[in-house]
Amino acid sequence: MKPSDPIKLVSQLLDLPIVDSEGAYCGVVDDIELAGRAQQPLEVKALMIGPGAYAGRLPRWAMKIVRITAGDRVVRVPLGKIRTIGAAVQLQVPGTVLGLQRSEDRVERWIPRKGAF
Amino acid sequence: MNPLELTLGIMTAVGGFVDISELVFAAKAGSTFGFALVWVFAFSTVGIIVFSEMSGRVAAVAKQPVFSLMRHRLGLKLGLITLIASIISNLITCAAEIGGVALILNYLTGGPYLPMVIAVTVALIASIWVLPFKWVERAYGLLGLFMVVFAVALVANHPQWHQLAGGFVPQVPDGLSTKELLTFGYFAVAIVSAVMFPYEVYFYSSGGIEEGWSPKDILTNRLTSILGMGLGSLLAISILANSAVVFGPANVNPEIPGSAALEAAIPFGKWGLILALLGMFFAVAGAAVETCLANAYSIAQFFGWKWGRHKKPWEAPRFTVTWILLFVAALGIVLTGVDVMTLVEFAVLFSILVLPLTYLPLLLLSGDRAFMGRYINGAITKTLGWFYFCVVTVAAMVALPLYFLTSGGNG
Repeated sequence: MKPSDPIKLVSQLLDLPIVDSEGAYCGVVDDIELAGRAQQPLEVKALMIGPGAYAGRLPRWAMKIVRITAGDRVVRVPLGKIRTIGAAVQLQVPGTVLGLQRSEDRVERWIPRKGAF
Repeated sequence: MNPLELTLGIMTAVGGFVDISELVFAAKAGSTFGFALVWVFAFSTVGIIVFSEMSGRVAAVAKQPVFSLMRHRLGLKLGLITLIASIISNLITCAAEIGGVALILNYLTGGPYLPMVIAVTVALIASIWVLPFKWVERAYGLLGLFMVVFAVALVANHPQWHQLAGGFVPQVPDGLSTKELLTFGYFAVAIVSAVMFPYEVYFYSSGGIEEGWSPKDILTNRLTSILGMGLGSLLAISILANSAVVFGPANVNPEIPGSAALEAAIPFGKWGLILALLGMFFAVAGAAVETCLANAYSIAQFFGWKWGRHKKPWEAPRFTVTWILLFVAALGIVLTGVDVMTLVEFAVLFSILVLPLTYLPLLLLSGDRAFMGRYINGAITKTLGWFYFCVVTVAAMVALPLYFLTSGGNG
């Protein structure tokens, strides 16, 4: 499926894993940004990724826990950066270009690079 | 299909089938009810084969792990509930396995239990850090094949073979009191849970992706599920049958995990005991690794992190930190001094409660043509899948009442 094809938002896009152009996982579609006017079709503008995008989907008490444990960062991925939508959303670019790998990079600094085959 | 790879895969599945819960419940079931619960092992094995094959097929075709697709299918809220429930269930199971390995090491070496728990956890962490996925899986699975001594011991213990064969027919023994009937029911539910632990499916399907399965591996997946788990189940049934022959007539209740090793010691003496303990050691240690990795896989897949032990630990940093922290958390649970048998019972109880949540999305995904194309569930798999889903749902509903009514199977 191409990004320009019509899709059923909830069943086909929301909560799909995102894989960048280098084959690395870099998040899940946590929310969708739509654009449109009354009596006109809605259009997907971007995918929202990160714990901050849970806000409309979880009860307030659960969101407080998410903010404390994971923060409330949201990364916006414009629809133009998507190659295909299937069992995962494939990006046209590396996740780092869109700011999607920051948490991985931060944790990576703490891990010793030795001893593993 | 490489025959050597296939054979190794099947042998790994055989050696990795038995874990601490199966050891404990097989031995207790045999001593208490003779061969009457053999059919529950056989019945549950068909269930785990059905769901493992399904999960391996989803991994090979959709090339996405089950937990990623589960979140997509269930949505964030229900997905989070499933994730949290499975984390708790797997963590308790992992703690039970670590405690079990330390107990077995204690029997083998005579060393004190608590330092053994710490040493075991450090050794398990080191093994995952050092070895790539295939070697982690194979090392524990193949060394777990020492458990074959239980099957050989069964021949040497001379069971009444026709009675054992009769145990494969679904039955409830005659003349049981209400209390005994409830205990029988509790054991049946516990065996279903122990054989169909959710971590096995998460680990198996994630392992398929780690090894780069594609639709051409569907036959390998099918053979590994059927032969590996089927033959592995025969080892568990051997433990039950040995217990029925050795412990039942002597009115011995195998209360501790090490009791099962005596089943091989009676016919083969010291070497039987050592082989049985070694087999148990590697099988249970392998289960500890699988439960911990299955938990880390679930979390990483749910949130879309880099994951997998085919990568170096620093190439999937959040995944690496997660599995290390999960081992530390499991160690913390064992260090509180809670009895291993209590942990085993809680692991079995929690798992049966999680099973329907685990298997429903898998059933839906593997039956979804949009994901699976022509590899969608066939009529037999579909029927068996929904049948076993109903079974685990009923088992989940009766598990807690049976646990309390029978004081955890103690009558």
